[in-house]
Amino acid sequence: MSKKKYCEKFSVPEHLQVPLGACIPAPVKEQRAMITGNWRTERPVIDHEKCNLCLNCFIFCPDSSWHLDEEEERMVWNADFCKGCLLCVAECDVDCLSVENELNFKGGVVRLDKPY
Amino acid sequence: MADVYEVTIWARGVTQDMEGRHLSLLLANSADKDGKFVQAWDNYADLPDRVGVPLRKYARISDEEIEMRYEYENDNPSLSIVMDDTIVKGIDILAGMEKGGALVVNTARSPDEILKFIPNSDLLSTIVCVDATGIAGAGSMEDLDFMGSEGGVEATEVGKGMSAPLVGAAAKATDKVTLDSLVAVTANKDGVKEGYEKAVVKSL
Amino acid sequence: MAKEMFLAGCSAAAYGAALARVEVISSFPIRPYTGIMMELSKLVANGELDAEFVHGEGEHAQVAIAYGAAAAGARAYTGSSGVGVTYAMECYSPASGGRLPCQMAIADRALDPPGDFGSEHTDVMSCRDQGWIMGWAETPQEILDNTIIYYRIGEDPRVLLPQFSCQDGYFVSHIPGKVVMPEQSQVDEFLPPYKHPHALDPTKPISHGPQIYPDQGPAINLQRAQAFLDTPAVIEEVIDDYNRIFGRDYSPFLEEYRTDDADFVFFIQGGHARTARYAVNHLREKGVKAGMVKLRFVRPFPTEAVAETLSKFKAVGCVENSTSYGGAMKGGNLIHEVRSALYDVDNPPAVTSFMAGLGGEVVSLDEFYSMAKVLAEAAKTGKVDQYVYWVNFDHGV
Repeated sequence: MSKKKYCEKFSVPEHLQVPLGACIPAPVKEQRAMITGNWRTERPVIDHEKCNLCLNCFIFCPDSSWHLDEEEERMVWNADFCKGCLLCVAECDVDCLSVENELNFKGGVVRLDKPY
Repeated sequence: MADVYEVTIWARGVTQDMEGRHLSLLLANSADKDGKFVQAWDNYADLPDRVGVPLRKYARISDEEIEMRYEYENDNPSLSIVMDDTIVKGIDILAGMEKGGALVVNTARSPDEILKFIPNSDLLSTIVCVDATGIAGAGSMEDLDFMGSEGGVEATEVGKGMSAPLVGAAAKATDKVTLDSLVAVTANKDGVKEGYEKAVVKSL
Repeated sequence: MAKEMFLAGCSAAAYGAALARVEVISSFPIRPYTGIMMELSKLVANGELDAEFVHGEGEHAQVAIAYGAAAAGARAYTGSSGVGVTYAMECYSPASGGRLPCQMAIADRALDPPGDFGSEHTDVMSCRDQGWIMGWAETPQEILDNTIIYYRIGEDPRVLLPQFSCQDGYFVSHIPGKVVMPEQSQVDEFLPPYKHPHALDPTKPISHGPQIYPDQGPAINLQRAQAFLDTPAVIEEVIDDYNRIFGRDYSPFLEEYRTDDADFVFFIQGGHARTARYAVNHLREKGVKAGMVKLRFVRPFPTEAVAETLSKFKAVGCVENSTSYGGAMKGGNLIHEVRSALYDVDNPPAVTSFMAGLGGEVVSLDEFYSMAKVLAEAAKTGKVDQYVYWVNFDHGV
């Protein structure tokens, strides 16, 4: 008498395999699995001459896309994650930030085939 | 199985969610009027209630019954319509397209300027540009409706804003929809005609 | 000329509830059923529907509000998906035991972990034992009709049971289809106003759910069991009446598709039945004698109808869209019910099951063809090699 099986041993293709309990490593500093630079229609452009390093842009940015390069003593803008909300432009006290359409620049965006 | 013509529409979250959905409904309603089999739906994973997020809407047109109805995405679009021109830079809007497809972009820029941002433009046979936002004017962003992406779809009284001139321009990119049927099903009829007339077509 | 609208399942369910003149709606957001409440709130705000729209602080509160309203004599409507359904679990038995016929709209969703919006029947199938009427719609048209039909069944004095009106999340709830809208006058003819035999009333005080001794327990449970024995006859009457008034052609429990000379059938419930039909057509073109039997009510499970219908075939494949980990067959839920129903039949068909569409995965025509291959072999030999196949992962499929 053949022994009936409930279900065979099966193999899951690699791209569908799941870690134990569906737990994955947490992102540190940047979530490279959710790049949001392509949410922008406009970008802030900084005039470093006028900037007084008050760090308002760094403080107000909801996506932590401005940070101070302490060695160079310049503000650095994160093109991969800035969503173009322009809060930094509104909060800058010395008007060193201006707004430009994203298509005025050739690069600066990670090109994806899905929204993120 | 039937040949299914797939259209993928790209738009921006919150501000263009409703118009993007209306665009897919206009294509479907118009082709339905012409006696074709249609589907129109929103991408389920895109969560469009975030300002600026690129999001997708879909339409399908076929001469026969569409059998695989339950799909999440259009994997092989023959027509890609982009409602905000900055999307062409950050998204591969031609992903999955086979050679000979068409692209329609809502922009005040020229086709050549837009093509500079598309490295795989050799897939295209046609690109159409129209300033739908300019044509629609104040009507572009008057009504915001958050319901459709959660299953509340309204297929009548559609196409009041920028979707009207954009769908008119789309009629120049594909023969799957006719201008007459589009005008019949769209609320903003003058917008459709103006979009059709002012659309700039470039063959590649 | 009947009005036709292009509606997704969520809108269709909402319009069904509005036509059914629901009086109390309790809401709480969760994808994918949320659109139903968004649509209903619009109708209430516009004055098109005269109902109390209440927002619960969670799904547990939602269902409690619904059966509380039903106890007070109001036609109540609520809903949920996925983990929301299981969050409200405590409330299901009081509603059915108290014989309070509120309706809960389910657009099903896979349970956590992790976070998956995709459709899966497990959420509400886990509540099969709670004493509610339960069935799936295949199309937006069906969910609109079911919303109205289930109230008539549930509120019938011979039944008095709450109902889960279910649809596949996203596939049915979010993809629009053509819906013929009933007239309000037709619905009013079909569905009389809700009247509970002992609604809460200050002039006739009653107590719900008093404390009892254990030896009083069995008789109370028997009362509900008896209601389920009486329900099938009511369902047949109600479906007949609905077909007559609205011009539909629903069969009460099982819908058969090309089963006349079928060797084997797909036994399925919900939206994927639509794809199954096309699969059957293509298989038939190739000379394979396939058919489909769609289950319209999983509670009350139509045991006799299932035994009678499925015994005509040589093999049956249950298309399982829900899981029963560690259960008798170590797969899904339908196979348990089907094998039980067929146990007393002489020469029962070979029965197996296919885990398909879990997590909201699309069940493609190719997947149906793989299932058909297994079933054709089983029909030939009269035996199955396995009780459960995980379509996609199983070497057997």
